[in-house]
Amino acid sequence: MRDLFYDLVRRNGMAVSIYLMLAVSLWVFILIILPQLTMLDYSFRFNLPPAKIGGPEDVYTLEQYRYFFQGSGASDGLNTLDIGILFKTLLAAVFVTVFDLIICYPVAFVLAKSSTGAKARLLVLALIVPYWINEILRAFAFRILFGATGVINETGMGLGLWDTPIDFIRQDVALYAGLAYAYILLMIFPLYNAIESLDRNQIEAARDMGANWWQVHAKVVIPYAKPGIASGMTMVFMLTSGALAAPQILGGPSNLWFTQLVYQWFNSGGNWPRGSAYAMVLLIVCIALVLLVMRLFKVSIGEIKQ
Amino acid sequence: MKMKSPTALIPGLYLTLFFAYLFGPLIIMVITAFNSSTFPRVSPWECFTTDWFGKLASDDKLLSGLGNSLLIGVGVVCVAIPIGLAAAITLSQVGPKLRAALYTIFIAPILVPGVVIGLSTLIFWDRIGTLFNAPYESFFYDGTFLTIFGQVTFIAAYSMLVFLSRIQRFDTTLTEAALDMGATPTQAFVKVLLPFMAPAIGSATVLAFLASLENYNTTVFTIVSSSTFTTVLSSKVRYGLDPSISAVAVIIIAITLIGAIIYECRNRYYTKGWAHVIAERPALKIATHPGTVAVILGALTLAAVLFIQNHDSSVCTAQVLEEKRALQQQLMEQQSINTPQQAVPAPTMPNLGPLGGDEGGGSAPSPFGNNIFSPENLGTSAPEGN
Repeated sequence: MRDLFYDLVRRNGMAVSIYLMLAVSLWVFILIILPQLTMLDYSFRFNLPPAKIGGPEDVYTLEQYRYFFQGSGASDGLNTLDIGILFKTLLAAVFVTVFDLIICYPVAFVLAKSSTGAKARLLVLALIVPYWINEILRAFAFRILFGATGVINETGMGLGLWDTPIDFIRQDVALYAGLAYAYILLMIFPLYNAIESLDRNQIEAARDMGANWWQVHAKVVIPYAKPGIASGMTMVFMLTSGALAAPQILGGPSNLWFTQLVYQWFNSGGNWPRGSAYAMVLLIVCIALVLLVMRLFKVSIGEIKQ
Repeated sequence: MKMKSPTALIPGLYLTLFFAYLFGPLIIMVITAFNSSTFPRVSPWECFTTDWFGKLASDDKLLSGLGNSLLIGVGVVCVAIPIGLAAAITLSQVGPKLRAALYTIFIAPILVPGVVIGLSTLIFWDRIGTLFNAPYESFFYDGTFLTIFGQVTFIAAYSMLVFLSRIQRFDTTLTEAALDMGATPTQAFVKVLLPFMAPAIGSATVLAFLASLENYNTTVFTIVSSSTFTTVLSSKVRYGLDPSISAVAVIIIAITLIGAIIYECRNRYYTKGWAHVIAERPALKIATHPGTVAVILGALTLAAVLFIQNHDSSVCTAQVLEEKRALQQQLMEQQSINTPQQAVPAPTMPNLGPLGGDEGGGSAPSPFGNNIFSPENLGTSAPEGN
């Protein structure tokens, strides 16, 4: 630590080094690590009224986690409702991630390899523009699109494909479409960056040696773009499973997203320790899943970038 | 001329479909902002109206939320940019092992769900507040401060990424040259490195401000009893779909488009090829200057605002209401004739459909009214079915 500081001072001078150290430690400790630790600590406590905090009853407990697994019943029954919601959320997030990968890969490839100069820049701009529209408004747009009187139902019924309005909201179609839409950009850019740096000659060489288009992608482009694919998928997966706005607006009345459970414990439930425990469960499960998949595909977290 | 083979068209077709998915929902939303129907929809089209914008201007909650959002945005920029810059510089100067460890910590806030960041910020400052016995009015419990802290946690990481991609192209021999010529390390930092980073500081500021403005997941926890533009918008959407939300979207999309157009014009204007073209044509030079474009777009915006303020659709809406009332009357008469048969009235009445469809909010006029003739659209209590 001391050596590090001396090294910084030698290179940047005293004033700048102090700024660097201060800013970085403020961020890392005050904003990132300590709050997470406090939340972890909080998740192991009982939900006490403010007056009793720090008192004799304020002891560590596994009660909040037990609740997640077993529910309110003292018996050994499983809390199938909450665990089910977690599984459903993760499954849906995986589905959305894969869907995004499938629709974004061709776009990233065309952008990176076929377009040049002004045209490519314009396409990139066209990709970014929808991303600057507020998340809430994007979800709202899907609500209009998929509603009982929405454009999709009107068109479908107008063409005679179905004759009663299909309830896309309750079936979660709107939710998946909206979530996939929300994070498209986070999939495209890592893919685009990865594919763009691939030497075009490699593709030509593969073609010359008789590879068809499928083999070119499977044997050349995809292995090369693996870090980009990994970071895109990680980002989309983490953001989808942690999404709150889209499920609140587009989710069916009976289908909850796991973050909505956290939200409920915090707001209407008034139980912060339990909310913290649920948030920890979400965080740990998501990270474990991402690390597992990365291990399977042999990519390291250091390769993740935007 | 050679005909393109059909397979060569596939990428273009695919891109078209893709951008339809990207822009379709936004376009539909924009259209609904101009329909006088009280439920945001494209069909049936009732009247072209700009009243929904007027409704926005008098929405105090939304406006005060916008004020808070702008304040928070400025606060976030002021804290996140110095932190992101420091983090990027530190990363560029430490050894590879420490760099990998630091990078993982720095990048983590982007991957951690926003909900978790919001929660942990809220709990942490609450604890600190309790520790110091701070009164409830102190900043430990203040939504604006908490939101700034919460948002900086991950927005600093965004700006760090922007700085990192710039600093990778920095030629360190420049700093060495400055040092050799007698500059102190601090002077070298201020006069060499900072100016080099200036463009990145500009783009990181825009990015940070926009990210702050549109954040919901973290803000909804840290804002406590206050509100921001996004949280107000979200409660509006959840408690009742209303075309004035589409009107908000129109405004935001317009601002985004104007920004994008000016940005693109600026880029084109300063390319080498264009410099040759306009070198001997002063008129074209002025016409394509980004400033000119900005003025034209500003004038168009002003015209649009004036149009919105002065457009009066009351005649048309009154007429539509009258038509509905007449039809309602007709239906009721028909009903009183058919009373014994107690049938679903008239073919114009749609089946009730899934009631869960659009109910989201209480003010949604009709979950089953995909035509203007449904009684709910009158806004008066009408007798139901039989």
